Amino acid sequence: MNVMGIIFANDATIGELTNKRTMASLPFGGRYRQVDFGLSNLSAAGVRHVGIISRHSYQSLMNHIGDGEEWGLELEEGGMEYLTPYAQSVTHTYRGKLESLANAMSFLEFGPEDELLVMIDSAILSNVNLNDVIDCHIRSGKDITVVTKAGIANGEKVLDLALKMENGEVVDMVVDYAAPADYLASMDMFVLNKKWMIQQIKEMIGRDKFHMDRDLVLGGWQRGKVSVNVYEFQGVALFNESVEEYFYNSLALIRQDVRQDLFHGNHPVYTKVRDRVPTYYGEDSDIENCLVADGCFLEGEVENSVLFRQVTVEKDAEVENCVIMNDAVIGEGAELKYAILDKNVTVTAGAKLIGTKQSPIIVRRGETV
Amino acid sequence: MYFQKKRVIAMLLAGGQGSRLKVLTEKTAKPAVPFGGKYRIIDFPLSNCVNSGIDTVGILTQYQPLELNEYIGNGQPWGLNKTHSCAQVLPPYERHDKKSGWYKGTANAIYQNIDFVDRFYPDYVVILSGDHIYKMDYAAMVTYHEQHNASCTIAVRNVPLEEASRFGILNTNPDNSIYEFEEKPAVPKSTNASMGIYCFNWKVLRDALIADEDDPNSSNDFGKNIIPKLLNEGHKMMAYPFDGYWKDVGTIDSLWEANMELLGKDPAFNLRGDERFKISARNSALPSSYIDEKAKIVNAFVAEGCEVYGKVKHSVISVGCTIGEDALVEDSVVMPGVVIKDGAIVRNAILGENSVVGKNAVVGGAFGPGDKRKISVTSKGAEVKDSTVLLPGDML
Repeated sequence: MNVMGIIFANDATIGELTNKRTMASLPFGGRYRQVDFGLSNLSAAGVRHVGIISRHSYQSLMNHIGDGEEWGLELEEGGMEYLTPYAQSVTHTYRGKLESLANAMSFLEFGPEDELLVMIDSAILSNVNLNDVIDCHIRSGKDITVVTKAGIANGEKVLDLALKMENGEVVDMVVDYAAPADYLASMDMFVLNKKWMIQQIKEMIGRDKFHMDRDLVLGGWQRGKVSVNVYEFQGVALFNESVEEYFYNSLALIRQDVRQDLFHGNHPVYTKVRDRVPTYYGEDSDIENCLVADGCFLEGEVENSVLFRQVTVEKDAEVENCVIMNDAVIGEGAELKYAILDKNVTVTAGAKLIGTKQSPIIVRRGETV
Repeated sequence: MYFQKKRVIAMLLAGGQGSRLKVLTEKTAKPAVPFGGKYRIIDFPLSNCVNSGIDTVGILTQYQPLELNEYIGNGQPWGLNKTHSCAQVLPPYERHDKKSGWYKGTANAIYQNIDFVDRFYPDYVVILSGDHIYKMDYAAMVTYHEQHNASCTIAVRNVPLEEASRFGILNTNPDNSIYEFEEKPAVPKSTNASMGIYCFNWKVLRDALIADEDDPNSSNDFGKNIIPKLLNEGHKMMAYPFDGYWKDVGTIDSLWEANMELLGKDPAFNLRGDERFKISARNSALPSSYIDEKAKIVNAFVAEGCEVYGKVKHSVISVGCTIGEDALVEDSVVMPGVVIKDGAIVRNAILGENSVVGKNAVVGGAFGPGDKRKISVTSKGAEVKDSTVLLPGDML
């Protein structure tokens, strides 16, 4: 089966951390960017033609993915393609996925007609066997397969799309709504027939409908025009749709079961290689319950935290419940609790940064505290 | 096919068995032996090449090449897979005149690949070996060679007089030109030891290799034959002094020492620092390491993909290792993929790739300041059974 992949780089934003980058290029889990999970899902399933759609903030994304070499996508035929907005047709940014897909029509129309299309978002991270999902889609004979996760809906979290199932059939569907706990949350991951999708996009855009979840899936299903199949994913799915969730999920990686599933579940997660040296733990360092990437130089105390590549923690510094991105330097005797440090932050000796679990302090890229 | 002319290419001798590394090279060629947590020995000369602007490297393999070939692959980790660059593995092969076969010596290995070198019409060929740990700018050496109008330039380092008899010693004039070469002299006249790094004018080397091949008494070796022959013929040969860190990791003890020399706040060999001289390695796509709340890591390297629940002191832990609860690893080199189970104690050891130390097992021992350190070694995939002992200096 020929399969084409589309990754949406920034369908959601989470404030400060995504001001100057896409959700896709948001660092996560010590050595990754969020897009690595979607790309690795596609790559592991043998998908060799992937388009990535972004509305803006391209630079860090292109710098990270390049020609897709790390994911086996540096190909002459197919491979990695960047689907940038056309200045002439969109003076505003895309209003929805359907509109951005309409702008990527030449990409969609390339290749055989019987191809399947896998669409993945960059805010929800998982290690999915997409071949399983594709088999499930083909067996169902339905128009569209939504990959879902149980246990996310709780009556409080507003979900992009949630579905209620009875006896294997969809009986209710809601969009942008805090669905109750017996609903399955969409992981913003879809499998559909490309030819069918091209037709849908044209019809929808022709009627000024541009919202994938609301107009195509929900609207189509309500009118009996679109048949919906549901694949319930059993592994770990991390919904990083707010700073609080991003922070909580980052620290959740410290749990062995979460780590095992996300990093070793079905396939390895590939990322850009940086050739950092192994992390050095100094004479007086005290590192407990942490996830630590390569290239760090640790002499202080760190507990319950995620350290990205090349982080320096000097003597007598105390770091607790923090997410510290690449190249941070935490000076002697500094104290950090419940903080997210973006890349290249310097915390001067003796400085204190104390946030809370619900609202961690965020230090912007390159700042000195 | 068109080959771009290159001013300089490198030939990397990676075919030796490295028999003094004993069980560690039973199934692996020495250049593929893991080093420093995430590297293999060959990463150092290969990265040095790239960092010196040398983008064409022939790699001569012979002994146990599977793992080494797989590791080098298309040269992508070092950026040697581009249109005008290559990392070409060159195994021995059969020829119509039946002259070829196994590489008989270091010089013969290059002789058999004259055709490969000729494709690039190089002015200079740098000959390297795959068993040293160091960072060096070969470009500076080539420039030195060129400025001195030499036929051959040999990198040298100063060694203590009492050790000089173990090396090839180059006796030089005040201007660093070489007047004599002595292989492992009983009474050394100087302390300039050859590092086994040569820069040749390709024309000179090419002729010398052909002449050497015709000499039935030659052992076809650079140190024993080619260098003395060129000296006798009156070629201008220069010594290129190098005073950076350099270590021959050809023995169990030196391999252990070189790993230990990476540790400390100001280590003898600092892998961090200078971005222009970073060492690249093939990546294993493993997540960040998890350090448990019961773990205690002091003065140690821990690479990615590890799970540490026990104690680690003054050690190098490579990618993908697990160190169980209440386990202790001290003064040891733990190679990739090793599992050390709960309660095990490992001291003064080198644990080969994917080896397993069982629950409450003991490997090696502690040594006082005056004692001769004896390193215990496990081979690739070996298993020290639960509650058993591998004595100091023993191998499994």
